[in-house]
Amino acid sequence: MVGPSGCGKSTLLKIASGLVTHTGGSVRVDRNNLGYTFQDATLLPWRKVRENVELLMELRGFDPTERRRVAQEQIDLVGLTGFEGHYPKRLSGGMRMRASLARSLALNPSVFMFDEPFGALDEITRERLNDELIALYMRQGFTGLFITHSIPEAVYLSTKVVVMSKRPGRIVSTFDVPFAYPRTPELRYAPQFSELCGDISVALRDAIEK
Amino acid sequence: MAKAPAANPRLYAAVPRATQPSVASRLLRTLLPPVLMGIVLIIGYAITRNSLEPHRQFLMPDAYGLWTQAFGIAKVRWDLLDRSLTTLTIAIVGMCVSIPIGMILGIVMFRFHVMEKAFFPYLVALQSIPILAIIPLIQSALGFGFMPKVLIVALFTFFAIPTTLLLGLKSTDRGVIDLFKLQGVNWLVILRKAGLPSAAPALFAGLRISAGLAVIGAIVSELFFLAGRGGLGQMLINAKMDFKYEQMYAALIVSSALSIGVYLFFSWLGNRLFADWHESGGKSA
Repeated sequence: MVGPSGCGKSTLLKIASGLVTHTGGSVRVDRNNLGYTFQDATLLPWRKVRENVELLMELRGFDPTERRRVAQEQIDLVGLTGFEGHYPKRLSGGMRMRASLARSLALNPSVFMFDEPFGALDEITRERLNDELIALYMRQGFTGLFITHSIPEAVYLSTKVVVMSKRPGRIVSTFDVPFAYPRTPELRYAPQFSELCGDISVALRDAIEK
Repeated sequence: MAKAPAANPRLYAAVPRATQPSVASRLLRTLLPPVLMGIVLIIGYAITRNSLEPHRQFLMPDAYGLWTQAFGIAKVRWDLLDRSLTTLTIAIVGMCVSIPIGMILGIVMFRFHVMEKAFFPYLVALQSIPILAIIPLIQSALGFGFMPKVLIVALFTFFAIPTTLLLGLKSTDRGVIDLFKLQGVNWLVILRKAGLPSAAPALFAGLRISAGLAVIGAIVSELFFLAGRGGLGQMLINAKMDFKYEQMYAALIVSSALSIGVYLFFSWLGNRLFADWHESGGKSA
């Protein structure tokens, strides 16, 4: 989902996940095993990386050995091996986001909400995390709802891009993304990729100016 | 529009990194501030003392007097130690009353906004009432024992605890709270695993303030309770009545040291607890 700032993209995610109750319309979603990543990593600063990754399993009442095993698996998967004992303060922004992803992935969610998770990261880190997210998607096959301000990121990751208008936020257009998975970095330089990005960009500009 | 003036590059030489300061210079840097301050204090004290008329110089005893009349006498030293323990006991028991009650109030105010609305004005009011002014009332109502003094310390130290805890709880990261809510855990779990740890540094700042006030409260409470054998505060008053100003100074010095010591203890404890993850911990402060 892309749309102008303040159009209600985050609110929509919060409604979908049940953090905000909707006052009209209806919501149909599987909330039983929901993953959610926020705009920042929201790690608990007093917990080490491993303990942070274990947090959700702890809240769900997994037993400690199982917790530890899954946490290690996820930490390895997001490439944080060797940093299990570090406090979040000592990690870079990209590493914190990886830890945050590992924390959500540990529950193996079937529906995954992403509230602009890579917005605060630099371009190179963002692209790498996009690729890692694609790899995770290939492995675990969740359904994702991803909010972003970056059109290339939207196109690169998704099967469908939804453009929202400025307030009051309405869906103004949707674009199907035809590229097959797994997507590779070369795709970013393919003409069809640029063309689609251009179309979405125009739609977005219309949505903002209308 | 006017053109910018032409750039005029200049060459700037590199500044090599300073080498590690020697042990001597580091020692000097650590010792110099207290030594300087000490010299200023001593000169100030000497000037004030010498500007007093001789028959009033007893108000500011000299080091010789302090030693021969107070610290040099074994009985006085024991007295100081014994009374320090009494004062410290009052201070600690007082905090054992105010900390749990204050924390519970802080949590209740956090949980129920209506409670915050209801209680906060009274907390501010409590802070504004000169506690000294109600000591005679406490004395009349509760007598001269141990508990009234504890109550006074509790009143002195109470304010900082619920207020700092509430502030800390309120500044818990919204995202973190949402994260917990998404797992469907109850409020107590959120409080225990997210709220309290994240509020702990703020609470500790409050505890540090309270700890210093606890000793002051204990000493002040004793100024009004002269029956029986009391702590340093009683010694202050007795020394004044007996005209033993050297002993009064000794009691003053020891009570200041006590207050500073308690403050430093809480600072140290806070730094130890939060060094790994919070900005307030670690080397500074």
